[in-house]
Amino acid sequence: MPDMKPHFVAITDAPLDSAAALAHCDAPGHGAMDLFIGRVRDINQGRQVRAVSYDIQTALCRGIFTEICDEARTHWGEELRLTLMHRHGRLAVGEASVVAAASARHRDEAFKACRYLVEEMKHRAPIWKQEHYVDGDSEWVQGHALCQHG
Amino acid sequence: MDTTTLQAVTVRLFGAFRQYADPPRLQVSLPAGATVAQLRSAFAEALPDDNARVLLKASAFATDEAVLEEDDPVPVEDVLSVLPPVCGG
Repeated sequence: MPDMKPHFVAITDAPLDSAAALAHCDAPGHGAMDLFIGRVRDINQGRQVRAVSYDIQTALCRGIFTEICDEARTHWGEELRLTLMHRHGRLAVGEASVVAAASARHRDEAFKACRYLVEEMKHRAPIWKQEHYVDGDSEWVQGHALCQHG
Repeated sequence: MDTTTLQAVTVRLFGAFRQYADPPRLQVSLPAGATVAQLRSAFAEALPDDNARVLLKASAFATDEAVLEEDDPVPVEDVLSVLPPVCGG
């Protein structure tokens, strides 16, 4: 019996399971399922990357993931089923850092909702990444400011 | 309200702020009824160098439930977090 909650969000130290992400979105009336997997890349801005460490303010992040899912359903339909999962800790090149999934009656809503989850997560979720380079150096990646003050 | 009474506020450090304290948290004292803007000033003084203070200018404060605005009162009963610019995925 599939999980009947309209969305599933998670932050975990365990490897992300894309099949489980899709299972959370399963609904008999949905003819479209869209899946996004973000992975650790081997080169960033010309530097050879060995691994990435993800730091997360977990409690706040779960709330923001839920908020983003609620917004997606407001935009593209309350019947959407959504999953948004992010990995915590040190990941090697090629490992999945984020999995987003959306299902809907038709592909247009599924594509748009899935993309919305990923784009909003990147701009709003309290997640930071520190790249570890082959030369032994490490750096925190610059990101999007959450503050509004002047 | 008695604004002379100081209250200790604990701020958890994330991302690039982690390098500035081990364990990654700093405590500052604020008058009762202080705003987030006052917290920002007190927190800047607690940071060890100008690089940290530059990072603070692009950072937000938050509870476990919400990102705070500059004129919000500091919820002194909560442990707060300082959030440098984010980059998930």
